[in-house]
Amino acid sequence: MLFSIAWRNLWRHRTRSLAIIASVALGVWAGAFIVSLYYGMGNERVRIAIEEEVSHLQIHHPKFREDFEAVWNFKLDRLNDALQRTPGVKAWSLRTTAQGMLANAAGSNGVQINGVNPAAEITTRNFDHFIIAGVFFDPEKKNQVLVGKKLANKMKLAPGAKIVLTFLDAEQNIQSGAFRICGIYETSNAPLDERNVYVGQTELNELLGMQGCGTEAAILMHGENEIAGALAFLQKELPDLEVESWRTISPETDLIMSSLDISSFIIIVIIVLALAFGIINTMLMAVLERTREIGMLMSIGMTKIRLFGMVVLETVLLTMIGCPIGFGFAWTLNEWLSKSGIDLSVIAGNLMKDFGYGAIIYPDLPGFKVSQIVLTVFVTALLASVFPAWKALSLNPVEAIKR
Amino acid sequence: MDTPVIDIHNVSKIYNPDTIPVPAVNNVHLHFERGEFTALVGPSGSGKTTLLNIIGGLDAPSEGQVIINGTDITRLSANQLIRFRLHNIGFVFQSYNLIPVLTARENVEFILLLQGVPKARRDKRVHDLMASVGLGDKMDVRPAQLSGGQQQRVAVSRALASKPQFILADEPTANLDSKAATNLLDIMAKLNQEEEMTFIFSTHDARVIERARRVITLEDGRVASDTGAVKV
Ligand SMILES: Nc1ncnc2c1ncn2[C@@H]1O[C@H](COP(=O)(O)OP(=O)(O)O)[C@@H](O)[C@H]1O
Ligand SMILES: [Mg+2]
Repeated sequence: MLFSIAWRNLWRHRTRSLAIIASVALGVWAGAFIVSLYYGMGNERVRIAIEEEVSHLQIHHPKFREDFEAVWNFKLDRLNDALQRTPGVKAWSLRTTAQGMLANAAGSNGVQINGVNPAAEITTRNFDHFIIAGVFFDPEKKNQVLVGKKLANKMKLAPGAKIVLTFLDAEQNIQSGAFRICGIYETSNAPLDERNVYVGQTELNELLGMQGCGTEAAILMHGENEIAGALAFLQKELPDLEVESWRTISPETDLIMSSLDISSFIIIVIIVLALAFGIINTMLMAVLERTREIGMLMSIGMTKIRLFGMVVLETVLLTMIGCPIGFGFAWTLNEWLSKSGIDLSVIAGNLMKDFGYGAIIYPDLPGFKVSQIVLTVFVTALLASVFPAWKALSLNPVEAIKR
Repeated sequence: MDTPVIDIHNVSKIYNPDTIPVPAVNNVHLHFERGEFTALVGPSGSGKTTLLNIIGGLDAPSEGQVIINGTDITRLSANQLIRFRLHNIGFVFQSYNLIPVLTARENVEFILLLQGVPKARRDKRVHDLMASVGLGDKMDVRPAQLSGGQQQRVAVSRALASKPQFILADEPTANLDSKAATNLLDIMAKLNQEEEMTFIFSTHDARVIERARRVITLEDGRVASDTGAVKV
C-alpha cells in the first residue's frame, strides 16, 4: 500500500509530476543525444584517419619519424614482396616523402612532397574522389603536382599553373624541379591539405637520386581485427623497419577516442545536476504542502523509515517513468540520425574540416553509455530525494497537524 | 478492572521556556481506567489539546511522567513512540485528517498494514468496522467525496482498527453540525459499550459533555474539577 500511496500521491499534482517526468525524459534524451553525437564524431575522426589519412598500418625506417628525411628509406621491391605475403591486407601504397618548399611568382610555402603511385593511392584511400578541380594525374603528362585546396587558395594556384618544388636529396644537396598543377584536392582535414602536395613517385625518386626506394608504406587491411596479426607478421619480416598501427601514428585520434568517454561523462553529470535541482525543488514542494498529512501519518504510527521510503519511492517512480520515455526518444532519433547523419556544415561551416572532421556526423549510441546514463540518472534521483525525505522526517507531528 | 490504564503523574508543559514561557499544562495528576468515556472540557486555551498530545506521546511534557500500562512513554525515543502509538493509541483529530489519496476502506486498512496484519484478517476487520460506523456502503469512496460527519466516522474506524488501549479525540465534533455530532457520539458510545473501548475526548460543546460519564474540567492548565472515574 506504501507503493499505491506513493503512486497516487504523484497524481495529486498532475502537471507537477508530468513536469518532473518530462525533465527526467529530457535529461536522459539530451544526455543520450550528446553522447551519441560525441561518439559519432569520434567514429568519423577514426574513419577519416584510416580511410583518408594514415590507413591501418604504416611502415617507415625507425629514424624517419625524427626528421622525415629522404635518407631514411627502404627498397620498394622488398616491401612489395613482404606485403604480398601478409595476411588480411586489402591494399597498400608505397610513397617517397621529402620536406621542402613550394614556390611560384607570388611567394613560397613549406610543404611535404609526397611521391606516389596514383593507382595505389586510389586503392588505399580513393584519392581521386578528393579532386575538386582539374584531374587526378594525367597518365600522358609528366611533372604533375596535386595541391590541396587550402594551399591553392592561399597561393592562388589553379590547374595548369607552374610551380617550383625545392627539397634536400639523399645526399643533403638542394634539388629543385618545375611542376605543373594538374589538380586541386580537398580531404576532410584542412591542415593536412595545406601541408601535403603529391607528385609521381618515379619523378621524385629521380630528383632525389634514390630510384626504387621509398620512405613510407601505408597499408589498408580488410578490417580492424586484421591489424594485430599483420603488424606482428610484418615486424618479423622487416625487423630493421618500424611497423605501426594508426593508433601510434595518429595518437591524437586515439586520444580523442579515449577522451570521448570522459567528456561525455562530464556532460552527463552536468545534465544530471540540473535534473537533481529540479527534483529536489519539486519533491520539497510536495513534502512541504503535505506537512499536515505527514504529521498525521506519524501520529497514527507510520515510522520514519517508512515515511522516508514513501518520499524516495515517489521520486523513483517519477524517474522510472521518465527514463524509458527519454530513451524511447533518444533511441528513435538515433535510429534515424545514425542512418541519415547530421550535416554540421550548415551550422559549423568549414570549421569541421579545419579540425579534421567530415561535415556529416553519424551519431552512435553505444550500449554501455546507455546503461551509464540510466545508472547516473537513477542514483541522482535517489540522492536528490534524500533531502526532501529528510525534511519530511524532521517535521514535528504536533506542529504539523496544527497547521 | 481497576488497574489504571493511564497514569499521569505531575505533568507540566511550558512552551517556549527560553523566550516567552507559556505554561499550558500545570501539575496535572490524573488516572484513567479501561472502558472510560471521558470528556476533557474547558475554555479555549485551557490546555486540552496540549494534555491530549502529551497523553498520546505526540508532545513531550516539560516535567512529569505519563505511564501507560506500566510504560513511561516520556522515556521513549521518537521512533519507539511512533511504534507505541501504532499498537496502543488511536487518534481522532478535529479536522478528520484522512489520507486523501486512499479510499475510506484503505484509510482504515492502512493502520492494519502498518501493523503487519495478514490480508484476510485485515479485510474482515475493515469490513466490520466500517459496518459498525454505518459506512458499509461507502467503503470505496475517497475522503473528499464524504461529508464531514462521514469522514469523522472513518477516522473513528481507523482509530479503532489497530485495537488500541484507548482512543484520544481532540474536539472530534467541532467541525460537525449537531446531527452529525450526535450520530458520531452515538457510535462512540456504542463502541465504548460493546467493545469496552476507552475514549478520552476534549470538547466545549455542552451536548457532548452531557453524554460523557466522566468530565474533567481544565482551567489555565490545571484540573479544576473531576467527576471521577465511572466504569462501563
Ligand atoms: N506550540 C505552542 N507554542 C506556544 N504556545 C502554545 C503552543 N500550543 C499551545 N500553546 C498555548 O498553550 C495554551 C494551551 O493551548 P491548548 O492546549 O491548545 O488549549 P485548548 O486546546 O484547550 O484550546 C494556550 O495558551 C496556547 O496559546
Ligand atoms: Mg484545542
